[in-house]
Amino acid sequence: MTMIDALLSSVEQLFSLATLVSMMIGVMAGVVAAAIPGFTITMAIVLTLPVTFTMPPLQGVATMLAVYVGGGSGGLISAALLGIPGTPSAVATTFDAYPMARKGEPGRALALGIWASFFGALISAVVLIVAAPPLAMIAVKLGPWEYFSLILFAVTVVASLVGKSILKGLMMSLLGLFVATVGQDPMMGVPRFTFGVDVLAAGIPFLVVLIGIFAVSQLASEVENPTALQRGESLVSGKLHFRPLAVMREVLSRPGNLLRSSMLGVVIGAVPGAGGSIANLIAYDQAKRASKTPERFGTGIADGVVASESGNSATAGGGLIPMIALGIPGSAVDAVLMAALMVQGVSVGPRLIMDSADLVYGMFLAMFLAAGMVLAFCLISMRWFLRITEIPKSIIVPVVLVCCAVGALALNNRITDLYLLIGVGLVGYLLAKLDYPLAPLVLGVILGPIAETNLRRALMADEDWTLFFTRPISAGLLILAVLSVVFTVRRLLQQRKIART
Amino acid sequence: MNDATDTASRPGREANSERGKALANVIFNAVLAALFVGLFVQAGDLPSSMWEPLGAGSFPRLILGALIIFNLAIVFQSAMALRQTDQATSEGAGRWFAQRRLAFATLTAFCVYALLMPWIGFALASLLFLLAVQIILGARRGRRLLIACLVAAVFGLGLYALFSHVFLISLPPGRLW
Repeated sequence: MTMIDALLSSVEQLFSLATLVSMMIGVMAGVVAAAIPGFTITMAIVLTLPVTFTMPPLQGVATMLAVYVGGGSGGLISAALLGIPGTPSAVATTFDAYPMARKGEPGRALALGIWASFFGALISAVVLIVAAPPLAMIAVKLGPWEYFSLILFAVTVVASLVGKSILKGLMMSLLGLFVATVGQDPMMGVPRFTFGVDVLAAGIPFLVVLIGIFAVSQLASEVENPTALQRGESLVSGKLHFRPLAVMREVLSRPGNLLRSSMLGVVIGAVPGAGGSIANLIAYDQAKRASKTPERFGTGIADGVVASESGNSATAGGGLIPMIALGIPGSAVDAVLMAALMVQGVSVGPRLIMDSADLVYGMFLAMFLAAGMVLAFCLISMRWFLRITEIPKSIIVPVVLVCCAVGALALNNRITDLYLLIGVGLVGYLLAKLDYPLAPLVLGVILGPIAETNLRRALMADEDWTLFFTRPISAGLLILAVLSVVFTVRRLLQQRKIART
Repeated sequence: MNDATDTASRPGREANSERGKALANVIFNAVLAALFVGLFVQAGDLPSSMWEPLGAGSFPRLILGALIIFNLAIVFQSAMALRQTDQATSEGAGRWFAQRRLAFATLTAFCVYALLMPWIGFALASLLFLLAVQIILGARRGRRLLIACLVAAVFGLGLYALFSHVFLISLPPGRLW
């Protein structure tokens, strides 16, 4: 299939009525979900996944991308109007958007964030289109040695970026890799660790693990505190006035900030494990350093809102780069997207861009389309945003739990999957309470079979295991893996020292 | 966590939860390490292959070996932390659970929901679950109770209808009728 054919085919699939409608619903769901404190973007995407099973691959992925991009903007709403980040990606947005809203300009704060998100998503989509194909060309040439080392690197980076203890992070990654070995072995088809249980014969269902870890256990933590259950007093009163075009000019008059924050978002999004929750803080920090008036940051200035919101939205495109080019998800959300493609029978890896060019181009286009839809939806519905943040948790939590049950049942319609979901949710909740980060577990589960297959292929091609250390790219990746652990240990030790004194 | 059940005292809540966590980690990771040792031994029975140096069991054994080491390391780390914290100011496990009673009540309701579903079907089970959890979480009277009933009806029956008619994914109809 030539490039033009693929592009035309993807346009045809994407601009069908069904896809446009499902994307629009996805955008709305993403914005609304991220606006509700306690409902994360990952949760929204995980729960969208079962709905997409019956759709053709591109429509399914485009719908999930729409939720993702919508979620990137939604967190801003509660950040600006309540001073509470709707998602972890909007923490830095509260620094300036909330003071701005309290000073009587809630409309301007929202519009600034919406436009900054839009341009951030746009810039990241451009970088994705430019960077992913050449990276995939290189990745196809990598041997199993390089691939195994790359996964090792990804695992250590994830473990070192999230959580308080690298030991616990690494232990969770390994646990994920182990969970993935349950079921049939990828080369010989021998059943492993199934203990004669039918449900385990095909492996532990990944979707159920995802929903259990990212939704059920998270929801349980949401209802822990009885006094915090009542939310809903809006801290910003009064009407929202906004002039979208004037604010757009205001955002575009800060090209340096916008570009820097977006590029930071792209790069951070592309690193496995780091995502919007880190990008918004770093983008804000860098904008403050580069500013001529750093002392005004935190008082409600436009630069702060633009930096945080363009930074967190740009991670969406960034995270797709390693997923499309290498078949290695950049974040938990990308792992879910990858799982969606795998359920559809699409094999994800560096050959994806060659074998399913129409799908990949469709994903690129869907990113642009979703960014535009989010912009339109947010600008039209901004007046009702205050209402969304007023929904109490006593309604959200049980409704989303029922959605989790639907999600677990949708794949195989087995009631045992529901029991497994509860088990995983409970274990996930206790693990989170013991300070174990959950994202490395999920990435471990999805990377496990790829790691094992490549390790065994490498040793089949040549029994000499020193090749992992003597092939230059593989050696380089292993060195990076070791460095990421060493630096994290050093950082944690320093933090502990400071905490003691 | 039995030695820490009843001696809960007021000051230093941060230290309390640190101590409880350290103790929980020692127990949890020791159990995990033992489990992984068992699995490691079991993985030795997995067949090897004529065509490749690594058989079906090698990769899991590699991972399990690393898991055993990491779990023991966490046990060691937590044990050290446990020795450093003050024994007298420990938070009881009972109190820890009591503070999170709503979370556990919600999860218990979710368990009951799952157990009932094959018998009474998705729609009715969801309706009852939604109502029960909203009441547990505070929607007890007046307007909030009314909204809770509405939400239960709309989502319980609505999701069932949506999935069976629009997405053509059938959810359990219930064995009793």
